[in-house]
Amino acid sequence: MSSRPAARRPAPKGEYIETDSGNKVSRRSAITGTANIMLGGRTVIMADVVLRGDLHSTRPVPSSSGKDVTPTSISIGRCTVISTGSVIKPPCKISRGQTHYYPIKISDNVFVGPNCTISAISISSHVHIGANVVIQPFAIIKENVKILPNTVIPANMIIASGSVVGGQPARVVGEVGEGWGVSGGGSGGGLGVGGGGEEKWVEGGDLRELVRSIK
Amino acid sequence: MAQPFPYTYYTCDCFDSNNPLASKRGPQPLEEDERDFDPHNPRSNYTLYPLEQLLYCEDCQQIRCPRCVAEETINWYCPSCLFEVPSSVVKSDGNRCTRNCFNCPVCTSPMTTNSLDQHGDGPPYILACPYCKWSTVEIGIEVEKGTGISAQLAKIANGGHPIPSLKERDKERERKKELESRRREKDAMSPTQDSPTTDTERDSTPSHDDLFYNLSSFYKSQIDAQTPSNPFSSAEINFSSPSAYSRIMSMYSSSSRKNKRSKPAPARDAASILEGLSIHDPSNDAQAIERIKREGWSTTLQPSQKLAQPDPTIRFSDELRPLATLLCTKRSKRCRSCRHILSKPENKITSTRYKIKLLALNHIPRISMRALPSQYTQSSSAPSATATPFAYDALKPGIPTHFLLHISNPLFDPIRVTLATPSTTPGKVQSRVTILCPQFEVGANTDVWDDALASSLSPIKHSAQDAGQIEAGKIWDRGRNWTSVVVEVVPGFLDGVPGLASSIGPGAAPPTSTNDGRKRSGTGALRDVGEDDGDLNYDEDVLEIPVFVRLEFEADVNAEERGLGDSRGSKGEREKREEAFWVVVGLGRIVEI
Repeated sequence: MSSRPAARRPAPKGEYIETDSGNKVSRRSAITGTANIMLGGRTVIMADVVLRGDLHSTRPVPSSSGKDVTPTSISIGRCTVISTGSVIKPPCKISRGQTHYYPIKISDNVFVGPNCTISAISISSHVHIGANVVIQPFAIIKENVKILPNTVIPANMIIASGSVVGGQPARVVGEVGEGWGVSGGGSGGGLGVGGGGEEKWVEGGDLRELVRSIK
Repeated sequence: MAQPFPYTYYTCDCFDSNNPLASKRGPQPLEEDERDFDPHNPRSNYTLYPLEQLLYCEDCQQIRCPRCVAEETINWYCPSCLFEVPSSVVKSDGNRCTRNCFNCPVCTSPMTTNSLDQHGDGPPYILACPYCKWSTVEIGIEVEKGTGISAQLAKIANGGHPIPSLKERDKERERKKELESRRREKDAMSPTQDSPTTDTERDSTPSHDDLFYNLSSFYKSQIDAQTPSNPFSSAEINFSSPSAYSRIMSMYSSSSRKNKRSKPAPARDAASILEGLSIHDPSNDAQAIERIKREGWSTTLQPSQKLAQPDPTIRFSDELRPLATLLCTKRSKRCRSCRHILSKPENKITSTRYKIKLLALNHIPRISMRALPSQYTQSSSAPSATATPFAYDALKPGIPTHFLLHISNPLFDPIRVTLATPSTTPGKVQSRVTILCPQFEVGANTDVWDDALASSLSPIKHSAQDAGQIEAGKIWDRGRNWTSVVVEVVPGFLDGVPGLASSIGPGAAPPTSTNDGRKRSGTGALRDVGEDDGDLNYDEDVLEIPVFVRLEFEADVNAEERGLGDSRGSKGEREKREEAFWVVVGLGRIVEI
């Protein structure tokens, strides 16, 4: 793959390249159009993730300085984890015979499970997306949403905050509890809290610990 | 909601009103010892919740589950357009979005408004489903404007015919009634003529809506006919009117005019189509059957699609209507016994914050169970073997496995924990469970920095040389506000094995027992659970361990009044408190050997 950085430093090569702001990007991820991708910091891009940054808006961006501004196609917030094999592709619309791409915005503390395909227009913070989820173009997902594994979210669907959605097509099947994302005072050291596997984090909560544990 | 293994569910006391814990608090060692909790009991489904869903009433000092809180609606909103709907509109128009939000009647996904115009903007507009590609073109509906869809849809019937408004319906009904009465007069004058009433009823079978409006207007007229003639209805009493005086006087005076008042005609039921009567017509059924023969099953509807429709009696796909999106609510929750508010979200629809939120997470220790990393259990194995994650989905029966039970304390006081578990798990698959250290202390949830600064509480170091030294009666590890102990579990055999699972004899095991438990579950789930056969019911191969947890701690008496501040600063009175509840740890699924 041509996009893979060709740096051959003598330093020990780990799985991840860590940036100054703490982003961890797998060497085995496939990222195109890096200039159009924004990562908020402490965000993890795992192996085999595809980020289609090259699919940016072709409409002229009105800029005050008169210079060309590089359009953002994918912006990802802080402490967001994109698991292995997921594809993030900006949504597109065909209008008057032309294909227009729109920027995709993923907020903070979002967990995207393995092998998802995501074309949402916006995903708010504290969203947990299970494995093998498909989010069709222009869906909007609000805060504190849990998407169960194998869900297909149809295009243009808006998911209100606090919902649990599942099914094909997705429908709201419940509400997250009041304690969603609250790790409680109880998350001490050691192995830990429910829902999050072996790690010290909870679904929908602060993913900083999870990001720290990924090496 | 399904959770991946291993999970922990907490029980709420409200599941049983006879529960001694619900009525009074205090040490009841005998009764608690006798009580047991069976996670496979069908009733348990309604008592087990993940900790995130539980609230805590600080006045009752008890866990509150979704079943023992009272909910109050703060506001209604459409989940699709996120606009608030005033309660008056909800009362008048029902709990559906009255703007542009519709769901596909075929697949329930939200529909989009598309233009049929060549250039993509301009009338006519249709509603289309982006998921299953159903659109209102299939029922012959196009609208003129791209907004206010529900108001426009209310005027168009399937096929593009206009739907008469309420006033038009009334006029039409009056006209028909007049026609009918005139016809009846004619019939009376010339009885030899064939009765023509049948063909007026035949000319078109009235729609569901027509019948409803006919019936409602008929009932209205019946009620109007009844009310004034009922002298004792409380609504009619008006002491300033002469009629009321005459009524009262007639009660006391001699009964000269008694029973002279004409009795109201007894309320009758609808007798014709114009009054909302619909008589079953077998020819309709015959037509439907003919149509299915002609067009096939694909034109008929699924029961779920039918029931979601405003008119659930329809049969064919060309009778579908787009479904206006159901509204959602924001609700506050109160404790059922003391009426204190437990959770109250902010009024604004877009806000996700809470004004009040009393979580069980802040009062109840979090309990979780994980497999003990294998380098501690197998001294011979190489450290590289630890990389493979423990397979919770495939617990091997009969092989003792060590797990770490981890308790972390959210309280600002140290707690003393006593754990108890039945030595064999209830249910048909009997696994042996031993908590190696059932009594221990968990430190207070103090500042995180105390952990780093204090060196007094040095964590127990477990090196690879320690392997195999799992001692009974000793905790495994501890930190600032958490403690972990080792639990030894011997997963039971799915088919009864003599010696281990004594109640299931070897003969009781059915000959099909070599199958996976889940394959047999299709019939097993339907069967009465109490039935004592060797067959496994659905999910009985899931190893769920009930653990009784009792906490004792000393807290400030007035801790609640001050909120959950740090208790170290106050010199107030201390009181002894305790909490006791069952938790169920779902460890994994047992496989056949």
